[in-house]
Amino acid sequence: MKKFIKILVFLIVFVIFFYIVHNLLWLKPTTISYFYDEPKNSLDVVYIGSSNAYTAFNSVLAYNLYGYTTGFLSTDCQPFIYVKYLLKESEKYQKPSIYVIDLALATEEIDNFDEGGIRNVIDSMKISQNRTDAINDILSYREDINKKDYINYYNSFLLYHNKWKDLASINVNIRGNTMLYKGFNYGKFNSIFEPQEEYIWSDELIQLSSENRNILLDLIDYIKNNNINSIFVVPKRYFEEDDNKKLNDAIRIIEENNLKVINCNTTEKLNNINFNTDLYNFAHINVYGATKYTLWFSKYLKENYNLPDHRNDEKYSSWDSEYKRFKDNFKKITDKEFDDVLFEYIKN
Amino acid sequence: MSLTSLVFLLFCFITILIYFVIPKKFQWVILLISSIIFLFYDNLHIGTVVQALLILIPSYIIGIQIEKNSNTKKGKVFLIAGILIILAQLFYLKYTNLFLATFNHIFNLFKIDYQFDFVYRNSLIGISYYSLIMISYLVDIYRGTCEAQKNIFKCALFMSYFPILTSGPFIRYGSVGNELYEGHKFNYDRMVRGLVRILWGVFKILVISERLGMFVDSVYGNLELFNFAFTFAAMIAFTLQLYTNFSGSIDIIMGISEIIGIKLPENFNLPFFSKTITEFWRNWHITLGAWLKDYIFYPLLKSDLMQKLNEKSKNKFGKKVGKKIPLYFSMLIMWIIIGAWHGGAYTFIIGSGILQFVYMFLEDTLGPISDKINKKLGIRKDVFSYKLYQVIRTFLLFSFAMIFFRSSSLSDAFDIIKNIFTINLSTLFNKEALLSMISNMGLDIYDFAVLIVSLIILFVMQLLARKRDVREKLLEQNIIFRWGILYILIFTIIIFGCYGAGYDATAFIYRGF
Repeated sequence: MKKFIKILVFLIVFVIFFYIVHNLLWLKPTTISYFYDEPKNSLDVVYIGSSNAYTAFNSVLAYNLYGYTTGFLSTDCQPFIYVKYLLKESEKYQKPSIYVIDLALATEEIDNFDEGGIRNVIDSMKISQNRTDAINDILSYREDINKKDYINYYNSFLLYHNKWKDLASINVNIRGNTMLYKGFNYGKFNSIFEPQEEYIWSDELIQLSSENRNILLDLIDYIKNNNINSIFVVPKRYFEEDDNKKLNDAIRIIEENNLKVINCNTTEKLNNINFNTDLYNFAHINVYGATKYTLWFSKYLKENYNLPDHRNDEKYSSWDSEYKRFKDNFKKITDKEFDDVLFEYIKN
Repeated sequence: MSLTSLVFLLFCFITILIYFVIPKKFQWVILLISSIIFLFYDNLHIGTVVQALLILIPSYIIGIQIEKNSNTKKGKVFLIAGILIILAQLFYLKYTNLFLATFNHIFNLFKIDYQFDFVYRNSLIGISYYSLIMISYLVDIYRGTCEAQKNIFKCALFMSYFPILTSGPFIRYGSVGNELYEGHKFNYDRMVRGLVRILWGVFKILVISERLGMFVDSVYGNLELFNFAFTFAAMIAFTLQLYTNFSGSIDIIMGISEIIGIKLPENFNLPFFSKTITEFWRNWHITLGAWLKDYIFYPLLKSDLMQKLNEKSKNKFGKKVGKKIPLYFSMLIMWIIIGAWHGGAYTFIIGSGILQFVYMFLEDTLGPISDKINKKLGIRKDVFSYKLYQVIRTFLLFSFAMIFFRSSSLSDAFDIIKNIFTINLSTLFNKEALLSMISNMGLDIYDFAVLIVSLIILFVMQLLARKRDVREKLLEQNIIFRWGILYILIFTIIIFGCYGAGYDATAFIYRGF
């Protein structure tokens, strides 16, 4: 019995140490891993999708303007199939009034997402049945992934244990730090993409591939069956001609299912986003574009979804400090006062 | 199934758990089932099943026949037939390409316009081990040192006991056979000792060997990028890689067997403290050396052929020199076989065969001359500095031979040697060239730091092991210290080990033999 207890204690201590090491080395520092750090039921809006979510919507600005909080479950090159699983994940920790779902990559074929895009999501999620389902789902589509490598998806620690090198490097923003600006990531402040030609959104329509159509319909079913309040958004940016036309099909399918969808490319109020000055690159708006988008979209959300105002609540003070940090850094990099920029946009 | 993979750990855990849960009478059946699973885990198809049966069934039947006909000519015929059947398969699966390459060289030499295409055969894991183990089984029955196994399934377990299939050690039926079949009770102390040994083995492979391999692969694969110093370092690194990989695997195997209750023979005894190559081989892959001595060297030396050679050479060269000739001749044959056992290529035959023989021959013939010179010059052999010189000399000689072992062809090996001896000191002081070599060496600063610290730990442990059983000492300590060390070891492996998709999958160097 004494020896059995010894073994048990040894294993318990091991599990505790392993949990610490695991958390330190595994979870990727994405908006998803930081999402778990937000206090339970503290987010009023959850924005899910590709990098077009966290580069476009300035959550700390929205908080400053209207007092509601926005969390991101958005990652670089996020396969659209993951939206359903991230909705499920969010439901475990938060009860937001509205989910915003980025549609930018709804047309991308599932085979085209590289391992990085897949891992950004699954390696940031906590171990759960939902995570396992998310992995199973994508692996069922990906015949190019060797079955022997499947274990590396379920147990990403096998891949990331060598992240101790990152911990050794002081320049790396390891997990445990507060996420900058509550997830809003604007790339390079003053970087401006110069477009090659004038861009006009096409109203023509091409059918989504059957796989992507099924993924979208599956998501719509999940939203409707669970009465999830949601709004789909096509971000303002360049799209390849085919993607543009397939997005029109996606919009049609969503509308036919009586769900709300906004196409920022055809929204008149967003015509002030100038592709000559407000783009960071082909696929993302820069901080100026993001400010214009946030000014309009944060107001739209406030007006349509009865969002609370937490600005005088001490519990939400981190939102104020992150907004201040954002403004200070904006000044440092652009040599402009953010309030001045904001005022100019509001005025126009 | 790699010895350091999670699958293997899980496999062992389940095997051991079931082993101790079921009645002692049936425990060997679990080992047999596990061994069959292990044998065919990656490689189950009709060809490999036939391969296994073609060794097992003849060995089983012939073993019984040898016993029935002991001390008769018929018994000897059965023995020879059994050995030939086993060797035929071994040669067919492992050495076909060596023969084809030899023929191709001969054709080239005589300008015959024909070349054989190489053939690639799918052989079972551990074929080199279980083939020799079954030969020793037949010979031992013939010699009367053990009895034939009457149960074919028990015979199958002896042939395929899973822990030893990848890297030995070589077991003898007389000493290990019964331990496989008799049941064992679970023993807590044995489990702890076994686990500690497994951990140490995993540490050696995943933290040290795999890291050394990254550097060695970079240099051997891109020789043109490195100067003599880096190539020399790669030569040293490969020897250490081989040692940590091989001895680490043996630690895992011994640890598993210790938990089960089966005592296997040791395969290493601090070989890098050896002062001569002869001593080195008494401490490196001990069971292979012992096997070859017992089943090849001594029988060959005592054979009629060698006795005749002995007589003739004594008559021609005198008693002192003459008696050495059959000895050297037998040694040469044994070392060629050792080299060939390591792989069906000339690089193995030279690196782990002929060169080792040459070293031993020189040690034996030049030793007395060297002693005389030392005496005349007043060089003391009993002081630390001289012993250190001997140890370093032995290490370097072995490392040099391992260049052939590691190279994919003889010309590659000669390129490495040429690079080592192209000493250009200016490349050591050219900052740009040096930085370029460092950036190409396959290890970043962090990996390099981990490697150095790990090698220091290994060295200290080896020093301590010369005087005491380190494992025993550790387990005598108070619980906090003891557990602290174990946790440090476990988490060093978990964090700093080279495993998973971020690194190449660990492959045991001796696995293919």
